[in-house]
Parts: sequence; C-alpha cells; structure tokens
Amino acid sequence: MASSPRTGKVTTQDRIRSLLGQYGIGIVLVIMMIVIAIMEPRFMTPGNIINVATQISINGLLCYGLCLCITTGGIDLTVGAQLALTSCIIGQTMTNMGWPAFLSILAGVGVATVFGFIDGVLIAKFNMFPFVVTLSMQLVIRGLSQVITGGRAVMLTNDWFTGIYSNKFLGIPMPIIIFIVVTIIMYLMLHWTKFGRYIFAVGGNVNAAIAAGVSRFWVIVGVYTISGVLAGLASMIYTSKTGSAQSNIGIGYETDAIAAAVLGGTSFAGGIATIPGCVLGIFIIGLIYNGMNMIGVSSYYQSIVKGLIIIGAVMLDMVMNRNKH
Amino acid sequence: MSEQTRDYILECKGISKAFGGTQALKDVQLHVRPGEVHALLGENGAGKSTLMKIVIGLYHQDSGTMVFDGKPYQARGPVDAINSGISMIHQELNPEPHLTIAESIFLKREDHTGIFLNKRKQNERTQKILDDFGFPYPADTLIRNLKLADVQMVEIIRAVSTNAKMIIMDEPTSSLDEQETQHLFRVIRDLKAKGVAIIYISHRMAEIYEICDSVSVFRDGEFIGTSALKDVTNDDLIAMMVGRRVKNQFPKVECPIGDVVFKAEHLSGDGFEDISFEVHAGEILGFSGLVGSGRSETMRAIFGMDPIKSGTMYLNGQVFNRKNPGDSIRQGVCMVNEDRKGFGLCLHRSIRENTSLPSLPERQKGLLINQAREKKEVEEVSKTLLLKAASIEHTAYSLSGGNQQKVVIAKWVMAAPKLLIMDEPTRGVDVGAKAEIYSLMSRFAAEGMAIIMVSSELPEIMGMSDRVLVYHEGRISGEYSRKDIVSGEVTQEVILSSAFGVA
Amino acid sequence: MRKSIVMKVLGAVMAMSLVFSAVVIADETEAGAEVSYEADVNGDGKIVVGYISKNFTDPFHAPINARAEEYFDQAVEDGIIDEWTGLLDGETDPNKQIDRAADCIAKECDIVIFLPAEAEASDPALVQMADAGILVIEVNSKSASCDEKSIAYVGSDDVQAGNMLAQWVVDNCPDGGKFIHCNGVLGNSAQIQRTEGMHEIMDEHPEFEMVGDFDTKWDGNLAADAASDAISKYGDELVAIICDNDGMSSAAQKMCNDSGREDIICIGVDGVEVPMQMVKDGSLKATILQDGVGQINGAIEIVEALVNGESFDPAPVIPFVLITADNVDDYM
Repeated sequence: MASSPRTGKVTTQDRIRSLLGQYGIGIVLVIMMIVIAIMEPRFMTPGNIINVATQISINGLLCYGLCLCITTGGIDLTVGAQLALTSCIIGQTMTNMGWPAFLSILAGVGVATVFGFIDGVLIAKFNMFPFVVTLSMQLVIRGLSQVITGGRAVMLTNDWFTGIYSNKFLGIPMPIIIFIVVTIIMYLMLHWTKFGRYIFAVGGNVNAAIAAGVSRFWVIVGVYTISGVLAGLASMIYTSKTGSAQSNIGIGYETDAIAAAVLGGTSFAGGIATIPGCVLGIFIIGLIYNGMNMIGVSSYYQSIVKGLIIIGAVMLDMVMNRNKH
Repeated sequence: MSEQTRDYILECKGISKAFGGTQALKDVQLHVRPGEVHALLGENGAGKSTLMKIVIGLYHQDSGTMVFDGKPYQARGPVDAINSGISMIHQELNPEPHLTIAESIFLKREDHTGIFLNKRKQNERTQKILDDFGFPYPADTLIRNLKLADVQMVEIIRAVSTNAKMIIMDEPTSSLDEQETQHLFRVIRDLKAKGVAIIYISHRMAEIYEICDSVSVFRDGEFIGTSALKDVTNDDLIAMMVGRRVKNQFPKVECPIGDVVFKAEHLSGDGFEDISFEVHAGEILGFSGLVGSGRSETMRAIFGMDPIKSGTMYLNGQVFNRKNPGDSIRQGVCMVNEDRKGFGLCLHRSIRENTSLPSLPERQKGLLINQAREKKEVEEVSKTLLLKAASIEHTAYSLSGGNQQKVVIAKWVMAAPKLLIMDEPTRGVDVGAKAEIYSLMSRFAAEGMAIIMVSSELPEIMGMSDRVLVYHEGRISGEYSRKDIVSGEVTQEVILSSAFGVA
Repeated sequence: MRKSIVMKVLGAVMAMSLVFSAVVIADETEAGAEVSYEADVNGDGKIVVGYISKNFTDPFHAPINARAEEYFDQAVEDGIIDEWTGLLDGETDPNKQIDRAADCIAKECDIVIFLPAEAEASDPALVQMADAGILVIEVNSKSASCDEKSIAYVGSDDVQAGNMLAQWVVDNCPDGGKFIHCNGVLGNSAQIQRTEGMHEIMDEHPEFEMVGDFDTKWDGNLAADAASDAISKYGDELVAIICDNDGMSSAAQKMCNDSGREDIICIGVDGVEVPMQMVKDGSLKATILQDGVGQINGAIEIVEALVNGESFDPAPVIPFVLITADNVDDYM
C-alpha cells in the first residue's frame, strides 16, 4: 500500500510514484531520445519523428495482438507467418486474379482472422497449450502461403493499394493514422469494455473469472481472433510498403512484437497489461532501429545493442517498481 | 505453572517494520516460554503475520532485536530459521501436488546416498513418523490425492519432524473439522510435554481457550498486552483486539420470511445424493456438517461450477437451469466461494475491477463501461461493507484477509442476487470483521434476499441461521429451526451428533 | 572512432576472402580440363539423383526449384535416370541441409545437386555425401570444401555481382555523393562476396562516401526503413542505395519514389519478379539478374554428361546480367 490506510488520502507523492511505477518505461524512452538526439542532431527533426512513427506501425499492430494473448496467459507465435499469408493472398488475388484492392484486403485480413479464430478454438476448447498450438499453426500458415504463391514474389501495382503506405491524410502518413485509430480502439477495448476486464480476469485468475460468470472460451477465442485481425492489417501495411507479396516475409517478427509488449509492462504471468505501456514499448523498439540507423551503428553490432537495450530497459523498470512489492 | 520461572525461549524487543508509508509494526514485543502454547490474537492486519515473518526471516525488521534459546537471533530466511529450531506452518498451504508425502516432509533436507536420493530410506523414515502420528496414509501417497485437512496434517508433521524447539501455527484448524482439530490438539499437547513452544495464531476463541496457556494481543501494529488465559475473559480479549466492546457477536435481526425463492428436489451429484430443500426470501439457511460431507459440493453444483447428475431446481417457481456460473449470475444466483484466493479474487487487479466483475453487463453505456458510475457504486458498496482500503484503485493483493473477503462479498452484493450462497463466509476473518459480515447478512436478508450459509463453525451457524440443515456423508441428516435453537432445545451437541450421523 | 575499427575488421575479412578466392581461381585455371566419372557410383544398376534446395520460400529460388522439378520428373519418365528424391527443403538452415544429406545417403543416391545455405555451416552436408561416394554438384554458391569434395560447381561469381552493383552507381552518379549499403543476413556467402565486390569498386572512387551499412537481413521492410531513415538524415545528399539483393533494392526504391526521391539510384542482385517488373514499368532503373535457371540448367547438363559417360567442365561460370528497360523483356 502506497498510502496510509487510516487517513485514506492519496498524496501527490503517491500519485507520482504510482505513475512512475506504471509508466516508468517512459523514462527509458526519454533517455533514449536524448542520447540519440545528442549523438545525431538530425534525429529530432519533424521529418524523422514522422518517419519513426510511420515505421513502427507494423510492429505496433502485431504488439497489440501479442499483448492481449500474453495477458490471458498465452502467446501467439503465428503473427510472422500471418504476415506472409495475408501478403500472399492480397498479391495473388489483386495482381494475378484482378480483384479490386478492397476485396483483396478483405480476403487477406479475413483469412488471417479465421486462422486467429482457429488458434483460439484449439486453445480454449481443447485446452491445448497456446505455445504448442501457435507454434504448429505457424508452420501450417507459412506452408499455405508457399502453396499459394509457389514461393514466387508477386508485385503489387495497384496505386490505391500501394498508397496505403505512402499516402498522407492531412499531412500525416496513412500508417500513422491506421496505428492511431487501432491504438484508440485497443485502448477503449482493453480499459473501457467488459471484454477488456474479462481478459484481465481470465489472465489474472481463470477460476475466479469463471466463478464470476466470465466465459473463458469466448475471451480466449476473442483475443486470438483479434491478434489475427491485427496481423492481417499489419500485413496490408507491409505489402503496400514493399510493393511485393511473398511467402518468406515476417520471419522472426513475433520477437520484436513480444519485446515491445514486455517493455510496455505486459506480464507473462498474465492479467497485467496496459495499452499506453505498449505504445511506449513499441516506440522504444522503433527507436532502437531508427536510432542505430541514424547514429550509424555498424550492422554487425546492431543486434547486440538491441538485445542489451531491451534487457537494460526491463531491469530499470523493475528497479523503479521495487518498492511496490 | 512450573515453567513460569524458566527463561524465555523467544524474546522479541522493540520490533518495528514499515512497508512504504504503512507502519506495519510499531515497537512491539513478544515473550514466549518453552513448553507453552502461546496464542497471538488480533484482527487481520494487526501485525501478527508480519511479526512471524520477521521471526522466520521472510522479512527484516527496521529496528529491534530478538533472542532465541538464549542467543541473539536473526534468521536470514525460513531455512535458516528451521536450522535454528523454528518451524512455521503457514495459513496459506503451499503444497507441491506432485510430491509424495515423504518428499514433501523431507523437502530441502532429503536423504542422500552419495549424490543420489535414497528414496527407500526416506520412505521408511517417513512411514515411522506417520505411524507415530496415527496418520493413515502410506509415505509414498501423492499430496494431490490427499484431502485439504490431510495436507494440513502433513505440514504439521513436517514442522514437527524438523525437531523444532518452537513451532508457529498460523490458523492451523481453518480447514480441519472437529475430529481433526481434536487430533491436532493431542499432537500439540504431546509437543508441549516435550518442551516445544508453540505460537498459535487463530481467530477461534473457543480453541484458544481450549489449547493455549497465554495470549498476546496486537492491534493496528501495536502490542497491547500479554496475559495468562485463565486470567482473562472472552469479552476482555475481544475488547483488547478491537479497542471497544463488541456488543453482540451475532447481530441477527429477525425479519419476516417471505415466499420460496429457491427450491431443490432430489439433487444428486459428485459427493452428494438426494438433496431436497427450499429457501425463502429473507431467510438465512445454515448448512452444517463435517468438512468433506458434501455441503460445498452441493453449492458448487447449484451455482453451475460442477454438473448435477439428477434432480430439479426451481428459482421463483420457475425451473432453474444453468450450464455455467454465468447463467446462474444472470438469473440471480450468486456464490461466495470458500477458497477466496483460488476462486474469489484476481489478486493483482484493483478492488474496483474485482468488485464490479460479475455485474459489468449492467454497468455498460453502449459498448463501453460507465466507469464514473462503476466507481461511484463500488465506492458506495465498499463504504457499506466498511472496507478498509486507501483507495479502490489499489490491488486486492494489498488487503488483509478480512478485507479481501469483503471485496468478494461486495462483488456479489453489486450483482444484486435473489439467492446468495456463502460458503465459509468468515474463514480467515478477524472478530471485528466477522461481526460486520454477520450484520451485513442480516441486512441483506431484511432486504428480501435468500441466503444460504455453509459453515464449519457451529457458533455462527447457530447464531445466524433461521434454519439449519446438517450434512452427513453427502446426505441431509438433520434439520433444526431457529426457534428450537434459541429455546436451547437444540444444542451444539445435537447438531454435532447429526453431523457424525449418530442421531 | 568506432567506425574505423569496424572498417579495419571489415577490411581484414575482405582481404582474407580475397586471398581465398584468388587461390580458388588459381586452382580452377589449373584444373581447367574436362573431367568424367562413372555415374552409377554404388553399382546397384540404378541412377538415383538427389536435390537439396536452399529453401522453398525465397522468390529467387522458386524458379530454380521449379525448373529442377520439371526436368527431373521428365527425366524419370523418359528413363534417363531411374529415380530422384524430389525437391528436398533446406529451409535456409545448414542443420536441415545436413539432415537432408543423410537422407540422400540413406536413399543411396548416386548424384546429388546441392545448393548450400551457408559456406561453412552447410559444408558437412557436402563432406558427408562425398565421403559416402556420392557425386555432388554444388549450385549457386560454394560451401567451404567445394573444390576438394564436389565434382563440379555451377554458379556465378558474387564478387562480380558486387562489382556490377557499384559500377552501376558510379556510372549513373557522375558527381559522386553519399550512399548507404543494405546487407543480407550477415555471414551468408552471398552477403560477404557481394559486399566485397561492391567495396572493390567503391574504394577506388573517393567521390562516394558510404554513410550507412545496415543489417537489413534480406528484408525489404527493413531496407525500406533504412532508406527512409537515410533520406530523413541526409536529404538531397543521398544519391544511391546499394543492396545485397533486389528484394531490398526494390522496396527501398519504392520508399524513395513514394517520398518524391525518384532520383535516388537503388540497385540490388537477383532479378526476382517484383524488381524485374519495376524495371519494366520504369519505377526501378536497373537490377542485376543472377541467372538461377541458367545455373540449374548447367547442373542438369552435367548430370546428363555423367549419365552418358561424357566428360564435362567442372566449373562453368554463369554470368550475371545487368537488366535495364532495354533488355528486361528478354528475361521475363
């Protein structure tokens, strides 16, 4: 307890401490920004800030899906493969079958959604371990994307579609708009709806959740389906960005998404997560890439730096939280 | 007593401990003699558990000193404490379900032959200890195949088998029935005769008078006093604990009994058979019986957590069907589970979220939760239940046991049930909070709610129930009315007899 | 400061590989004569051919695998060979390739076509098969003991491709300027040799300055991010982006074009579908085609020579082709 149980008053000091505890990782972000800005003055230009915000959208969407799954005590390892499958479906239907862009996106995201739903059903209905289910489904999904394209890359020439990445709305690139809209929806869903509360309850104590009338089945199916939708949307941005649909993309993308979620305070024990925390985690991961590119860290060292920053940030966060035993 | 002249085995002086801004212990002391059973009394949050955790080295005091067995003492952790001669049996049992009894008893001090475990020798040693205790299971039985009471017994045997000079027992009887409790008391008397000191933490006054020699009382992190039990009355102790006199321990309010709310006909399921009863609006129906006699099993099945094999239920005259707890809650049947941490709370979520969880569907505005309204209503119900918390945004984890139980009750009150099933509603709750929970029950009944109370504590069953049903081996073996209990025609002995199936 | 250390390390690596390749080249010229072998090595009266791919997922390898499958299915039907393993998936993983090699030995293959994923790590697959007496033809890239253990290597010279990358930039940006380099997965032989070839030319042109050397892992998305980072840092000073493959260069070019910087020259190696298409429609100025199908055809010719008991060239080099709007149609 951070305040006196007798008076019942919450002091300003308590508020600051709880804010620090909740979003202490924000300090890490600020420190990173200052360090990068000192080493490379061009980092803080509006152009580069928009640039970073645009780049993080793909990992951002994946991170939200993983955050939900991890919060229920699970994990979704399919997101990288989902990127490939949705990309291949969009490419195949739009370029090779001449579907309208909108319909292709609907098909691609739809299939990703269905696979998310299947993951959820396997986990919730048959009580299989999320790790095992998604590890196996990931193989199925990537295999399917290879079957669809025969391993070949398909080019996307539809201007409307490639504009999803490059177009601007009121001067803001579309990926940022998509990311902001999704962030708001996710924030409202997790923190303002009963479904969000049920996610926390199932992750926090599944027996208590069931005893309080929560349907474990629909919560689990729900989060994996949402993870599928988000992976599909991320794939739409990815495909539009590279202009190419192929089955070998997205390998290892779950790593960055998990790292962002964990940096944002998502607990692997389940039941604890916040969307604002995830946003901070997403920005930190994005800044690691952008910052290293800006400073000019050699490619041979980038991977090491990334790993060390993640460990350091999580440790710092734990130190700052230590008083709240 | 002859020990009066002897030195203390444990002396704690001037112990203080703060967590963040909360002063959990303020300059407290404790003096325990060898061979005595020393009760620690106090409401939840009074500081008893914190002091014990300092003694076994789980926490470090901010100031103060301890002397154990004539030497300055400071444990670095539980293993260190055990090596010094202090064992503790925790209230929250933490059994490793996959271990055998022998493995559990010899955990962290296994028998070795070279680097290999000597299982045969370990089992033989364990078997001998078990036989000494008259514990009727082989040493290689898996813990998960034992009843909760037997797991408790294994914990006690483990503590005893470390050759401790002092054993701390934190609510050791909370999951034991009368017979098992008596068995435990025999064990305690044996230990006493061997000169082992026992620190006995319990909220059950009758037990304390039966087994303890002296008592130390704590309140709000302060030491209030120590005295021999023969010198103090029950009322004195309660006054010391709560700082005031509790006028009526069972504030039962007589209110008109209305129509039948819930009716069960010939229910059978796992652990109970052919159960029929009805409960009316405004009525508190008590379910007594031994632990494991099928009371909780019946209630879990009614609430939809377990299946029912046969039988019919009616709610307000309509057939009551439920596939899961969600169905029950929607129709107005709610249940306070006996296992607070297992089925009651998400400990790391806030009081607000825990309280509103079952009733969220009613607190929506469009797609979203009306958080302002939610906050207001949770604050109101917390106030009604006299919940002691700095803020409803704090985690349930930060509350004491009694206040956690109030959160569990609060969440069902928010759901406005027609029938509220309360399984062991005051387990692990201190005297002051118990009285508060009883008066809440009276109030809910007066508002027309039907209440089923399952309890192993006869005084509360007899003090609060309008009618008492007694279970014996999965069947109802007796029914008694309040009138007969109040008139003294039905005594504790009568109810116990039906619980043991001898009536 | 740090940069210079890195450059030294890089330099040392390059120097070592230069020496190594020089030795290899010397070796090849000496052994330039044609060779021949008995095709049915295990004498069971059957010719069994194995095919260990690099992977099934990379667009560059898709047409190679497709060509191999088409040819060998037909060859079995026509009785040229008795049996083949079908396409074995190497999953770009040396470990998996070594397992596939063991499968080929178990299946008593006589001839195996092998596309190593890694120079060093995949080498045990070759050694294992060669020691079992199998005639191994390495295609596309060499594993470490290729010269001693395989009977032939059909491939292209990735150093040459690196030269061509740099030369294109030098030719098209006469005034010089800043450029960035997007690497493949670090340690892949194609990444090492293309990078080396690129430096051979660029180091002789002081008017160019390499301002970024990114770990982009053959990933178009990461290359596009590197491009946008570089544009936001260097603006108009950035003139070119050299990529180890053209999946990355096409994504980078698209990023440049979307940012209104069509002037930036992006170039990479391979000639997979998307960059070829972009060259055709003019959004990418050029790409460098690694003639994968040409390589597999070279290997097929060797198999045919073996079966017919003829002699063959053990080291045919399949040249890289610069693809521009002028010749793109010939290769699509």
